[in-house]
Amino acid sequence: MPEPLMRYLIWPLVKFLVAFLIVQVIVAAMNYIERRLLGLMQARLGPNRVGNEVFEKITPRSLHRFIPGGLLQIIADPIKFILKEDIVPSSSEKVAYFLGPMLPLIPAFLVFCLIPYGPPPTFVVTHVNVGLLLILALTSTGVYGIILGGWASNNKYSLMGGLRSAAQMVSYEVPFGLSIVGVLMLCGSFDLVRIINYQADHIWNLFPQLIAAFIFLVAMNAENNRTPFDLPEAESELVAGYHTEYSAMKFAFFMLAEYSSMIVNCCLMVSLFFGGWTLAINGYGLTTGVLRGWGLAGGILGAVIFISKVMLFMLMYIWFRATFPRFRFDQLMDLGWKWMIPLALANIAVTAVVVLLGLQFNFQGEVVLSIAGAAIIAFTLFLLLRPRAKVIHARRVSEA
Amino acid sequence: MFDVHEMEVNFGPQHPSTHGVLRVILKIDGERIVDAKPIIGYLHRGTEKLFENMSYPMCIPHTDRMDYVASATNNLGFVETVEKLMGITKQIPKRAQLMRVMLSELQRLSSHLLWLATHAIDIGAMTPFFYCFREREQILDLFEEYCGARLTLNCMRIGGMPEDLPPGWLDDVEAFVDKFDAAIDEYESLLTNNRIWKKRTVGIGVISPEEAIDWGITGPPLRGSGVEWDLRRAQPYECYPELQFEIPIGKNGDTYDRYLVRMEEMRQSNWILKQCIPLVKATPAGDIKAKISRVVRPPEGEVYHSIESPKGELGYYIIADGKTQNAYRCHVRPPSFVNLQALPAMAKGHLVSDLVALIGTIDIVLGEVDR
Amino acid sequence: MHVEYQKPRWSDKFLLLDMLEGLKTTLRELFKPKVTIRYPEERMEPANRFRGMFKFSFDRCIACKLCALACPIDIIYIDVHDEQREIDGKMKKLKVLDRYDIDVKRCMFCALCEEACPTKPKSIWLTTKTYELASYDRKDLYFNMQQLEYWEGRPEYAGLPADEPEPKQIEGGMP
Repeated sequence: MPEPLMRYLIWPLVKFLVAFLIVQVIVAAMNYIERRLLGLMQARLGPNRVGNEVFEKITPRSLHRFIPGGLLQIIADPIKFILKEDIVPSSSEKVAYFLGPMLPLIPAFLVFCLIPYGPPPTFVVTHVNVGLLLILALTSTGVYGIILGGWASNNKYSLMGGLRSAAQMVSYEVPFGLSIVGVLMLCGSFDLVRIINYQADHIWNLFPQLIAAFIFLVAMNAENNRTPFDLPEAESELVAGYHTEYSAMKFAFFMLAEYSSMIVNCCLMVSLFFGGWTLAINGYGLTTGVLRGWGLAGGILGAVIFISKVMLFMLMYIWFRATFPRFRFDQLMDLGWKWMIPLALANIAVTAVVVLLGLQFNFQGEVVLSIAGAAIIAFTLFLLLRPRAKVIHARRVSEA
Repeated sequence: MFDVHEMEVNFGPQHPSTHGVLRVILKIDGERIVDAKPIIGYLHRGTEKLFENMSYPMCIPHTDRMDYVASATNNLGFVETVEKLMGITKQIPKRAQLMRVMLSELQRLSSHLLWLATHAIDIGAMTPFFYCFREREQILDLFEEYCGARLTLNCMRIGGMPEDLPPGWLDDVEAFVDKFDAAIDEYESLLTNNRIWKKRTVGIGVISPEEAIDWGITGPPLRGSGVEWDLRRAQPYECYPELQFEIPIGKNGDTYDRYLVRMEEMRQSNWILKQCIPLVKATPAGDIKAKISRVVRPPEGEVYHSIESPKGELGYYIIADGKTQNAYRCHVRPPSFVNLQALPAMAKGHLVSDLVALIGTIDIVLGEVDR
Repeated sequence: MHVEYQKPRWSDKFLLLDMLEGLKTTLRELFKPKVTIRYPEERMEPANRFRGMFKFSFDRCIACKLCALACPIDIIYIDVHDEQREIDGKMKKLKVLDRYDIDVKRCMFCALCEEACPTKPKSIWLTTKTYELASYDRKDLYFNMQQLEYWEGRPEYAGLPADEPEPKQIEGGMP
C-alpha cells in the first residue's frame, strides 16, 4: 500500500474508529453513572438491579460486594431505545423532523478526530495546527438540529425549547470563544498538542487563567444545555423542551449528540486548562517527552490520564445537576451578555497587560498571574472549609 | 410588521408542574405572559354534597381526601366545627387537645416539606425534593404508628381522639424533632443563599398586603406579604394559647419571602412539638374522649369555624336541622381555592418560567380546590 | 416577627461561596447512608396499628350490622336470618349470618367498621399488616365471608395480632 494512503487515510481512520468506540462506551456508561451518582447524592440508590444475576453467576462470590448493582443498565437502555415505538406526530414537518436528530450527530462525532488523546503521533488522530478553531467551528453547528427538531415537531413547548436553545447556544458561543483567548496568548498557538506541552513545561493554565477557566466552565454548561442552564429541556416548564415529540432512536440520537458534545467540551477543558495527558509542573513529572520515552506503554498511560481527567469533569456535570436550580431565560441571557462577555474581555486585557509588562520589565507575567489564581483558589477553599457557626443560615429576627 | 403575536398555550391539566390537574390557559407574547386563566374542576368529587348524605362521623374520612397532603388538619377543622355546633368544645380532654395539636403540627411539617420539595423541583433544584421526602417519610411513619394510615389519616373523632398514643410514640417524635432543625439547615444550604434561587424568587409574584386581603388570601402567602394573621393566634383553638410560637411574616410579599416564611414556620412548628411532648406526658393516659353519646345529632343551628391549615384558613360551614344525623348543608372554605384566585394577577407580565414558581409558591392542592 | 436573611458578604458573593456551599452539601450527602430500600427483597414492617387487608371472624360476629352502618361508603353487605335453636334446653332466637361481603376495591381503609364492632376482641379488623392488595381483575377484590376469614390465595402475614391490648401503658406522668 502506498505510504501516503496509509499515513493520511487508513491510520487516521483506524484511530478515529478506536477513539469513537471508546467515546461511545463512555457515553453509554455516562447514562448509568449519571443516574447512579445522582441517586447517591440524593439519599437513594439509583438503578441497581439490571444484570445483578448475570454478574453473580459469572464472577466468584468474593467479588460480589465490589460489583456495583445495575451495571447492565448500560446495555438495557440502548436496547430499550431501539425497541420502542418510533412515534411521528402526524402534523409534523416530516423532513425537518427526521433531520433534527441527525444533524447534531455529525459535528459531534467529527470533532473526535481533532482531539489529542495522548502523546503524538500515535494518540492524535489528525494533527491540525488550528485544531482549536476547527473544534469551535464544528461544535457550534450542533444547534441547528435542536432548532430544526423543535420547530418541526409542531408543538408549542418544543418550539419554545428550540427557540430558547438557539438563543442560548449562540449567546454562549461568544464567552466560550473569548475565554480561550487568554490561553492562546500565553501559549501562542492554536494547536492543542502545543498548548498541552506548554502547560507541562510551565503550569496548568488553570492558575494563570483562573477566570477564563471559570467562564469556560459556565459556557460549557450552557453550551450543552446542562443544569443550571438546562432551559431548552426544562422539564417543569416545557415538559421536555425540544425533544418532547421525539421517541425511540430519534430521542436517543439527541441524547447521544448531547453527551458526545459534553465529552468534547470536557476534553477541551482538560486540554486547555488541566494539562491534557500530562501530569507535570515546570517540566518535572510525566511530560510528553517522558511518556514518549516509554513507548506505547507511556502513550497508553497518557491516554488513561487524559480520560480520567475527562471523566472527572463529566462527574462534575452531574454534581452540578444535583445541586443547582435552573436559571430563567432572560437571566441566562443577562448572565451571558452582561457578565460573562465583559469578564472574558477583562481577563484578556489583564492577561495582555501583565504579559506585556513582564516582557518590558523582565519578569515572568505568567508567574504573577499564577500566584494570583492560586491565592484566589486557596482563599475560597479556606472560606468554604473553615469551621464556623452556620453563617449561611444565620437569621436576623426583628420585631414586627 | 411590529404587531404583537400572541400564542395560546394550554398549561396542564397534564403538565409536570401543575401539582395535579390544574389547567392554565396562557396567552403568551414570546415568553411573557399576557393573560393566565386557571381552569379548575378536573378533580371534583362532590364532597360537599356527600356530606349531606352521611352522618357526621362518616364525613371524617372524606375530609381526608380534600387536602390529601394535610389530612390531619382537615379532620381537625371538621371535628371542631361539629363540636362547636354541639357546644362541647370545652369538654375535650387536655390530652386529646394536645394530641390534636401535635398531629396537626406534624401535618404542617409534612405539608410544608412536600411544598418545598415540589417548589424546588419546579425551579430546577432536584435534590431538595429527595431530602424533603426523606424527612417526610419519617413523619408519615409517626402517623402510621399512631393511627395506622400514612396519608389519609382519619385520625380524629367528634369529641376526642379514636385511640390513645401507642407506647413509645412520644419518644419517636422527640427523636425526630431533635434532628429536624438540622435537616432544615440542610435544605437551606442548598437554596436560601443560592444566587440562582434568589434570582428565580426575589421580586416574583409580588402581592401587597392590601391586595392580599382583597383577594382573601390566607396562610403563608398572606404572611409573606407582611400581614400578621395566623388563626392559631387570632382565633385560638385547642390549646394553642398555652403554647409559645412566633408568627413569621415577610416584607416584600414576593416568592422568596413566602419561601422564608414557610421555612420559618417549619422551625416554629418544630418548637411547638418540642413543647407539646412534656405536656402530653403530664396528662393521664386514656383520657382522650369527651363523654358524649355515640350518635352525633347536633341541635338545630348553623356554625362557621375555621382553623389554620398548612395552606391557610380552612373553614367549615355546617347547617344542622336538629332532626337527622346528617348535615343539612356543609360548605368548605378551602385555602387553596381562594389563594389560587390570585394566580392570574400574579402571573401577568412574568415569564413562563415564573408561572411554575408561582404555582409552587401558592401551594395548591387540587383535591382541595375542586373538592 | 420579620424573616430576613443576612446579606452575603462581598467576598462570599464574589467567590461564589453560596454555590459552593450547596455543592458541599450534595457531596457530603454522597457518603451518607441511603434511606431507600430495595423493595421486593427488603420490606418494611408496618406499624402495629397499620390498616391493611380485612380479617373476619365468623365465630365472634354477632350479626349486629353496626359495621355496615358505620361504613361511609356502604361496601359491607350483610344478610342475616333468624333461627330458633336449642341452647341449654331452651329455644332461643338467634341471628345467623348468611352473607358478609366486603367490596374491597371501593374501600378507603378508614377502619370505622373496626371501631364500630362491639365484640371483644373485634370480629372485623384491619390490623393484619398486609399491604400488597393489587389485583389484575376487579372481581378479585370482592371478598365474601369465607375469603375474608381464610384469605385464599393471599399472602398471609405470619404474626397476626390477636387484638390490640387496651391502652394500659402510661406515657410517664400519672400512674
